[in-house]
Amino acid sequence: MTTDPRTPTAPTYAPDGFWDEMFEAPGRVRPHYADLARRLATLAAPDVAKRQRAAELSFQAQGITFSVNQDPGGPEKTMPFDLVPRIVRADEWARIERGLEQRVRVLNLFLHDIYHEQRILRTNLIPAELVLGARGYRREFRDVDVPLGVYTHVVGSDLVRDGQGTWYVLEDNLRVPSGVSYVVENRRVLKRVWPQIFADYRVRPVEGYPQDLLDVLRAVAPGSDDPTVVLLTPGVQNSAFFEHAFLAKSMGIDLVQGSDLFVDDAAVYMRTTRGRRRVDVIYRRVDDDFLDPLAFRADSLLGVPGLLATSRMNRVTLANAIGTGVADDKAIYAYVPTLIKYYLGEDELLPNVKTYVADDPSERAYILEHIAELVVKSVNESGGYGMLIGPHAPAADLEEYRARVLQNPRGYIAQPTLALSRHPTWSVDHLEGRHIDLRPFILYGRDVKVTPGGLTRVALRSGSLVVNSSQGGGAKDTWVLESDAC
Amino acid sequence: MLSRVADDVYWVGRYVERGIAVSRLVDVTRHLELDAGTEDFWAPLVGAIDLAGDDVRFYLTSDTMNPDSLVSCVRLARTLARGIREAISSEMWEELNTLYGSLAIPTTTSRQVRGEAVSFARLVRERLQSFQGLAESTLARDEPWHFLELGKYVERADDVARVLNRQSHLLAAGTRDEDPTGPDVVRWLAVLRTCGSAEAYARYYSLRVEPARLLEFLLLNPIFPQSVRFSLASACAALDAVAGLRSAAGNGAGPAVRTLGWARAQVELTAIDEVFERGLEGFLTNIQLLIAQASDELSATYLRDQPVPGRLVGVERATMLMAAQQQQQQ
Repeated sequence: MTTDPRTPTAPTYAPDGFWDEMFEAPGRVRPHYADLARRLATLAAPDVAKRQRAAELSFQAQGITFSVNQDPGGPEKTMPFDLVPRIVRADEWARIERGLEQRVRVLNLFLHDIYHEQRILRTNLIPAELVLGARGYRREFRDVDVPLGVYTHVVGSDLVRDGQGTWYVLEDNLRVPSGVSYVVENRRVLKRVWPQIFADYRVRPVEGYPQDLLDVLRAVAPGSDDPTVVLLTPGVQNSAFFEHAFLAKSMGIDLVQGSDLFVDDAAVYMRTTRGRRRVDVIYRRVDDDFLDPLAFRADSLLGVPGLLATSRMNRVTLANAIGTGVADDKAIYAYVPTLIKYYLGEDELLPNVKTYVADDPSERAYILEHIAELVVKSVNESGGYGMLIGPHAPAADLEEYRARVLQNPRGYIAQPTLALSRHPTWSVDHLEGRHIDLRPFILYGRDVKVTPGGLTRVALRSGSLVVNSSQGGGAKDTWVLESDAC
Repeated sequence: MLSRVADDVYWVGRYVERGIAVSRLVDVTRHLELDAGTEDFWAPLVGAIDLAGDDVRFYLTSDTMNPDSLVSCVRLARTLARGIREAISSEMWEELNTLYGSLAIPTTTSRQVRGEAVSFARLVRERLQSFQGLAESTLARDEPWHFLELGKYVERADDVARVLNRQSHLLAAGTRDEDPTGPDVVRWLAVLRTCGSAEAYARYYSLRVEPARLLEFLLLNPIFPQSVRFSLASACAALDAVAGLRSAAGNGAGPAVRTLGWARAQVELTAIDEVFERGLEGFLTNIQLLIAQASDELSATYLRDQPVPGRLVGVERATMLMAAQQQQQQ
């Protein structure tokens, strides 16, 4: 497909030397985007604006919003949604899927190991203090046998592509990853406001996610044939509250808060209008720190006293398990290829981004010397916080991060600044290239299942590399094709 | 159903119904003012609060500091609904959410400022009634529905009793007056309209406004949905439904069942002449107190799961009384 896509909708579009998902060269559309490009060409700017507005209103009416700050009466914003979908070829997706499955299996083997025999710590492959000293490591959870050996029932890994189009894993989110509700809702809304564009493609559905999740949660119940599963939310002020409500409703389970649950005689119960009811599985969207005031933060108002002890006895299953944060620590991330080799004897199918761990003296020296070229990240932060993008940062920030790294080397890693791939994105009345990433969701119960697609986040500000919604990012629908025949 | 969720559903039901009642009150008072505009009809609506005229109208419709104002009812209902979206239908949630969103739109606000409080109130009322209609057609008849109904009818019984109580001096005086004067008729009609009942009353009594009939209609009519009796009967039915489920699970149904049933018996088994014999104001106050007590009791049992087993309290108390009496006899 080499027809000229320089249409009224994209008169000035240029890949600018980045890997562009849609254009392989100025004016040359990649074959799997050809039909979409034709559709875009038929569209006048007011028409796009109208659909864009319809999508916005739909999100607003459904209350698919997040609180911008902690102010209860404060404004609620929708995540900006871009109408132009991102398309992933079937063969490409198959490779991603295998790579993610390998990664999730290994991370669970790693978690099992470090909470049991700690074999890997007796090798010289990874410094023991890096693991045992990680903020996410929970001694309290040692020697607990979790059902099916699964620690991370829900994983959201962030993938990016560089200037050559190579896929990389940028980070793993193994604690309480969010965003999957947008995967489902973005698809629904796009179908509603622009059904025509689906006509040319066979896109793999994402509707099945809640059912798949429920299957996983039921599979890890301790003993019961007909387990009671609940979703534990921090509450309405949480920025992902919409997602918690969405998932609970889709799965037909109760959405509970800490105060709805209590522990009695080594079992967890919820307070209902008919009296107490035993709970078997808790899909918790509350961080470890706040889960149980008796075990972790004593000032937590969101947790359930006695929950840790009950889950240690395997009288209730927590998903994800306690203590998974150690495996998505950004310093330990650097060792994932080593872990794959150690536990499976395989090479990694999806590569890591080159990572310098500040805890290592020689790598620290490199970071300090090259800080202006690197992205420096705090090992435990997420959401685009605690991060420095060297090439875009003023001198004062560089100095500040140099000082931070020196003061707390264990707390920081650095990576080369990636030329993230770009995607045509609607900007007022024409398409412009914007940097994107991809967060697929991986479920792990009896086996591993990757939801076809994921959340494509897009940095809406021109030139920006930060895709997080808290930092001005938006989202696109992500299409995984049924086959590449077309 | 989670107790917290049931609690919030119950209060969504109450705030929505309260919003409708406040909206009617604003609407009717405005008409009253236009019909017989020689006195300030607004000031008595807020009782002890020292406000008059437009200030009262603002206080009732748009004052965010007044927890019972129209905008507060919408905000409170929507805030609660947001936390319990899994218990109500998406249509219901979107109705409240878009209504709440429209309150923040400048054109709506400026209409309020320009004194169009009445059309604003009517607009909000229609949306709240639409919410109730959506509940009726989209909710399965299980616990969330029953708690929503419970909230709606407890609130309605209380609202109507309060409106009648506010006018009770007038009504009681009117019964002794064979030929009510013009302004009083207007006022009684206003009472009927405030309770959304003027047309139905007309069908029953051909709009001959007589205080005793009016009271009988609003208080004791068994089949008109705005009457106190109908509301309490519906509230009792909803409470019986959830009490049955709780009992079936082996837990006590709590004292609210009896308290609410007692309130219901008052309006079911009393004739209008007996009401006047016993004193209208006292009768209405007693109903309101019973409703408030039942609401507290059902909160304790169902909504906070602090079981106060009604029968046990009864037996324990009787035992204590008996013990005390026996001591006296020694």
